[in-house]
Amino acid sequence: MIEFRGVNKWFGSLHVLQDITLSVRPREVVVVCGPSGSGKSTLIRCINGLETIERGTLSVDGQRLGDPETNMALLRTEVGFVFQQFNLYPHKTALENVTLAPIHVRKTPRAEAERAGRDMLAKVGLADKFDSYPSQLSGGQQQRVAIARSLCMRPKIMLFDEPTSALDPEMISEVLDVMVAVAEEGMTMMVVTHEMGFARKVAQRIVFMDQGSIVEIGTPEEFFSAPRTERSRAFLGKILRH
Amino acid sequence: MIWQQLLSIASSYPLALRGLGTTVVVSLIGLVAGSLIGFAMGILRAGGNRLISRTIGVWVDLIRGTPFLVQLFLIFFILPELGIELEAFDASVIALSNLAACFICETVAAGIAAVPKGQVEAALASGLPQWHQMRHVVLPQAMRIILPSLVGQYVLLIKDSSVVSAIGLTDLTRVGWLVVQRVPNGLLVFAIVGLGYFAVCYPLIALARRLERRMGAAHAEVQL
Repeated sequence: MIEFRGVNKWFGSLHVLQDITLSVRPREVVVVCGPSGSGKSTLIRCINGLETIERGTLSVDGQRLGDPETNMALLRTEVGFVFQQFNLYPHKTALENVTLAPIHVRKTPRAEAERAGRDMLAKVGLADKFDSYPSQLSGGQQQRVAIARSLCMRPKIMLFDEPTSALDPEMISEVLDVMVAVAEEGMTMMVVTHEMGFARKVAQRIVFMDQGSIVEIGTPEEFFSAPRTERSRAFLGKILRH
Repeated sequence: MIWQQLLSIASSYPLALRGLGTTVVVSLIGLVAGSLIGFAMGILRAGGNRLISRTIGVWVDLIRGTPFLVQLFLIFFILPELGIELEAFDASVIALSNLAACFICETVAAGIAAVPKGQVEAALASGLPQWHQMRHVVLPQAMRIILPSLVGQYVLLIKDSSVVSAIGLTDLTRVGWLVVQRVPNGLLVFAIVGLGYFAVCYPLIALARRLERRMGAAHAEVQL
């Protein structure tokens, strides 16, 4: 479904992705973790073309990125992306946020898009917030709208870039619950997160990155109980200490 | 003495009204046309194409860096040399539209640049084509940012329109020149001319202030 082969990327002289080779199967949930600056956000941002790669190949749903044949706009409709900072449209209500792309990209008739949008918002627990503006919602509610916004496009893949890092602690679980539900419905997901409880519960594999390279890939059991490298041990020691 | 002069000035009110009308019409056409062209230029200026953006940038700098009077003379006196005859009114409208477009272009481009990058990324990630990103996501947010300064620009441009009197268009300022030849009291005549401009501009100034206050409130709300 997602296929990195020898992918390299530089920001100026900084080598942010080094020889990344990774393949994600359909319906698989992969959690990406690692210290800040390790390239994990850049990695998933490449998948929907928010970043470009300089060397190697990256295929998504059978289409190669950077290939002139590939219609990026079309590909992006198949790949949902959830941002750390939510990035909801502040001048639009929750319902308008989730229906904008279906109406203007998928050309879904407005009434139908709104019905689907209400269903989706209800599904993430926001049945009473259709007409609220983002500024009237809590962080957790905003992030759930953002997830609903992506799901309304009926994507084949969902990418999450530290979806709970900007949230107050008491709001993290309401967002994780929604993500667990999405995973259980069989969505292909790549999630950059430090929420190890979530990783343990739904991830089939964990990718540990450091300084632009993939250091270790394993199942959650392997990774948590017997990390193979010194760097992953040190990382786990830091985030699991509390 | 003053009383007599006032009466004499009052007797030229039809001329004054015509002048005021000309000022309003030239300004209005200039601002509407300038806004349309300026928004288009601003969107292109902020857009991805380097060459287009640079070209617009050079033109805007040229216009912003030269006096309006000189631009007006160039259009009115030089274009006929090249075979393009223009009435004073047409030349005035063209010059003012161009000036307005250039100032509005920079304001719009700055507003677009001020919309957070994450907004564009969110629109991009959901597959919205570029025009829809602009129309539904970027421009509405840019508008809220630039509206107060845009209205401020309008006020400046209305006042700049007084320059068109220099090529013989009978606007409010030129009416002042004409009247002062008959009534030798420049202070009085031009105080009244000034009042005329103020009457046109003040509602816009008040509007700009209200918008600014509303914007401040809106921002406070966003930053919860």
